[in-house]
Amino acid sequence: MTVVESVIFALAFIGSLFLFLRRVFRLFAMVLLGKPEPRFDRLLGRLKSLLLFGFGQKRVIEEPFGVNHFFLFWGFILLQLMVNSEFIIAGVFPRFSLSFLGNVLYPVVTFVADITSFLVLLVVIIAAIRRMFFKPPHVERTLEAFFILKLVALLMVAYFGLHISSIAIGHVQEQYVPISQMLAIPFAGRGTELFWQVAHRVFWWLHAVVLLLFLVYIPYSKHLHILTALLNCFFRRFGFPQTLPRVAFKQGERFGVSKVTQFTWKDLLDFFSCTECGRCADACPATSTGKVLNPKEVILAGKANLLRNGSAILAARGGDTIAGTDERTPVALPLIAKAHGTGIPPEAIWDCTTCGACVEKCPVFIEQFPKLLAMRRHLAMERVEFPPELVTLFYNLEQRFNPYGIAPADRAKWASDLNVPLLSEQPNAEYLFYIGCVASFTSRMKNIMSAIVEALRKTSISFAVLGKEEQCCGDPLRRLGNEYVFDKFARGNVALFKKYGVKKMLTLCPHCYSTFKHDYKDFGAEFEVVHHTELLSELLKTGKLRPEKDLRHERIVFHDSCYLGRYNSVYEEPRTVIQKAVGSPPLEMEKKRRESFCCGAGGGRMWMEESSGTRINASRTRQALTLDPTIIATCCPYCLTMFEDGVKDEKAEGRVRVLDVAEILMPTPPSST
Amino acid sequence: MEKGKQKFKVRLLPGKCIGCGRCEPACPVDAIRYDEKGEPIIDLEKCIGCLKCVKVCPAEAIEKFLPGSETGEAEPEETPQETVGEEKIGKLWRGVWVYVEQMDGKAELVSWQLLGKGKELAQDLKAELAAVILGSNVEHLADEAAGYGADKVYLVDSPILKDYRAETHLHTCAYLVEKYSPEILLIGATGLGRDLAGAIATRLETGLTADCTGLAIDKQNRYLEQTRPAFGGNIMATILCEKARPQMASVRPNVMPAPPFVAGTSATLVRESIVIEEKDILTKILEIVPIQCEASVDITAVRVIVSGGRGLASSENFKMLQELADLLGGVVAGSRSAVDAGWVTHEKQVGQTGKTVRPKLYLACGISGAIQHLVGMQDAEYIIAINKDQHAPIFDVAHLGIVGDVFEVIPGMIEELRKKKNTPVCET
Repeated sequence: MTVVESVIFALAFIGSLFLFLRRVFRLFAMVLLGKPEPRFDRLLGRLKSLLLFGFGQKRVIEEPFGVNHFFLFWGFILLQLMVNSEFIIAGVFPRFSLSFLGNVLYPVVTFVADITSFLVLLVVIIAAIRRMFFKPPHVERTLEAFFILKLVALLMVAYFGLHISSIAIGHVQEQYVPISQMLAIPFAGRGTELFWQVAHRVFWWLHAVVLLLFLVYIPYSKHLHILTALLNCFFRRFGFPQTLPRVAFKQGERFGVSKVTQFTWKDLLDFFSCTECGRCADACPATSTGKVLNPKEVILAGKANLLRNGSAILAARGGDTIAGTDERTPVALPLIAKAHGTGIPPEAIWDCTTCGACVEKCPVFIEQFPKLLAMRRHLAMERVEFPPELVTLFYNLEQRFNPYGIAPADRAKWASDLNVPLLSEQPNAEYLFYIGCVASFTSRMKNIMSAIVEALRKTSISFAVLGKEEQCCGDPLRRLGNEYVFDKFARGNVALFKKYGVKKMLTLCPHCYSTFKHDYKDFGAEFEVVHHTELLSELLKTGKLRPEKDLRHERIVFHDSCYLGRYNSVYEEPRTVIQKAVGSPPLEMEKKRRESFCCGAGGGRMWMEESSGTRINASRTRQALTLDPTIIATCCPYCLTMFEDGVKDEKAEGRVRVLDVAEILMPTPPSST
Repeated sequence: MEKGKQKFKVRLLPGKCIGCGRCEPACPVDAIRYDEKGEPIIDLEKCIGCLKCVKVCPAEAIEKFLPGSETGEAEPEETPQETVGEEKIGKLWRGVWVYVEQMDGKAELVSWQLLGKGKELAQDLKAELAAVILGSNVEHLADEAAGYGADKVYLVDSPILKDYRAETHLHTCAYLVEKYSPEILLIGATGLGRDLAGAIATRLETGLTADCTGLAIDKQNRYLEQTRPAFGGNIMATILCEKARPQMASVRPNVMPAPPFVAGTSATLVRESIVIEEKDILTKILEIVPIQCEASVDITAVRVIVSGGRGLASSENFKMLQELADLLGGVVAGSRSAVDAGWVTHEKQVGQTGKTVRPKLYLACGISGAIQHLVGMQDAEYIIAINKDQHAPIFDVAHLGIVGDVFEVIPGMIEELRKKKNTPVCET
């Protein structure tokens, strides 16, 4: 290596490094354009997440093909340490080599580097083949992806080319490079020394150019995730995003997100962390049924929007200053727009069922749907632009305190012949049995309440209902962004519960359950919330309640409710109830537990029409019907409604019933169907 | 109210108490308790005349009186009822006004219906009934208004007012009201009326009761008693606008009957000019597109609906419903299942995510009555349901339920109706 070459390389390296660092700095500055968010708590837990999910690639390898990425990831790290470190330093100071590591360590290092390079080459070829010929639906065949694979392959080829040339020249190697040796065999004795010296130079410069190119390319491509993914694992949200922040309704306050700068820095880091793996889109019930919404596209649009607006903001500031933004910061490119690639269309925002499959799947802990809910707040409260069905819904909730618009006086009709005590008459009851709107007004669901009441009576647990005083928990309002009305409901309900001194609440709806348990915390709620499957499960396990029906001949398939399962990790209890009732565990669909497929009613969508694609509930019903069940078991009034409708549409009414877990357990009262 | 000068007591006015129970806790000296009927018994010895119970009573069933006076009415000592309005509000508001809605020179029937009611109110108040007409080349409507009972017509005729725009009509009406101070303003609760009434009420900072089913006068106080269903129709609420003027109310078309038209009557015509200029108006009408296709019938505006659901089984069978609808003078609608199956179009969907209808007659054929459908039609005046399944929830809301096969019942109905073909079944 001549001095000229060293100088050229040194300059090129410094140049590349400069471009790389400047870009990274700018991206960092763009992230900090976001609003503050506290993510520096639980540092030990964060470190653990970084190790387990970042370096351990835990979620990546949940999908079998993720193992390929595992090798690629570690291969990359090892090669940086063992090959490129030496390469770059030697490029400037040609006499440098890692041989100083000694007689034992140096050969080990070179051996590992050799094997790793080979594995990486293999992995990259496998990835390319899979992408070309066995493409899963959620993987997008972008030119960029193939380009990156090509670059990596080239690097590996250059590496082996270098070693083969060295071996051919006959450099004394303290290295132990068996694969390079093997590859060199066909070339043994061929070509002149000059040839191999030229070849060596060629491969060396190939390696150098590709390496430096890659260095600069990383922060301009989707490979940016190399820098951000590990950070995102560190700054992850612990647990599922069960709730949203409360809004302070003050003068001059803005509601929700309409500009990318209104997101928090963590949201913006999310945008930069996307690996474009597409797993969220694959899991999304809206995307699967042909809706406009695609969570991956949402994140990528956010990224593109941030890059465009961020560059403009930074440029307008002159120097590359790190500072936040406020209302006056000009943000030219709108976030909510039909614009291809840099905007998120309103239909996508309303398509979301808030099921959370995306968040659960993402290998780098991006939180997709909370961003949509932030945008819903802006659309609902600042622009008053939402699907027309919501006019009816909001009106009904505001005027009658339930989504149906039925007179509050009729809310207790379900209880007319059950003789259930009212909380106003028995304020010292152990449980407030909170029914919820759907169950209160849907006559078919009376059986569920009967079943639960029966169970409570049999086990002498005191309870009472609110009767006509019960109002909607407000879940649809919160998920649809109508935070103003939700705020009113929450405060009103909390005051009502405090007035009666409610300590424990029993719900039969996972949406009420989750809303009271999590969303109401910010409103001063201080009571324990129990779902009926949790209570029944406990009663069965302790023997206080015994199953009475014989259901051995039934084929029961269980559907996990999103708001009970993913939101609150209640997976076992409903299964326990079925197991105890029937004597064997329920049949399981392929998409179960954490990977359960939404019934389609969450996120306020129970009250809306699906205007594109196919029905989500139809899709999930078909999934259930493939198991040929006689009973589809649910634990949520929304799911029950969706499945009953789905069963009717699939013309399967004769062969399968849809029942709540409580109805499966308890005997059916004689008067009802 | 003057305190300390007059020592009032209170008493229950017979027949007015609605048993809401608010007076008892309001009394600071526990002078009120309830009898077995739930009506208050007032202990006059304990009563200190603070009048809290009078104020809290929503039905004005408790009145104050001076013990010792013969009639017991406070009228002579207190500020005379005639001028209660003035003292509270500041100037004399007199007159009953009715906004006449018109399009292209043709008045909406509801305006004449309101003139009929307005006449009664004006007579009770011994006040004048006036019609307010805004438009372009609409002077002929003044005579029509007179024929329907108006004593006076306020007319603003200008090209600016030719087609309805909220801004122009709001400004003009507000100007007229502020100049002539009517005590009552009635507007028909059409789409236009709803738009305008709320705007006027907000501008004038007065009260508006929408969709009233009853209007009457409290002669003592010159209050317009505005009655409308509340809380899903569970109670009828009578609402008073005590402190602001004009008292505004809107009434839906066909709730009140139109008075007879008496040709040849005349009314005093007051011409006013428009107070705003076109250049100051932000809204411009670019184009008016009339509804052309017959298919887009607004099902929320019709009086008879024949609705089909899953039970109809096919598009063909909806022809049967159409026949029935034609005989009844109504339209065909459907539940969501029918729309999904393509048997009716989405504008005819009745339900939570479709339209809410309140026809006089709703025929639910082959509809199970899932709650999402019921909320779209349960306020219909008369509901007939036909369904094979006797447990179908639709029967919970139906006034008349027929458990049977739609394919037998409906043809049967059609046949019977055909026999009476000459007699119209549904009349006004």
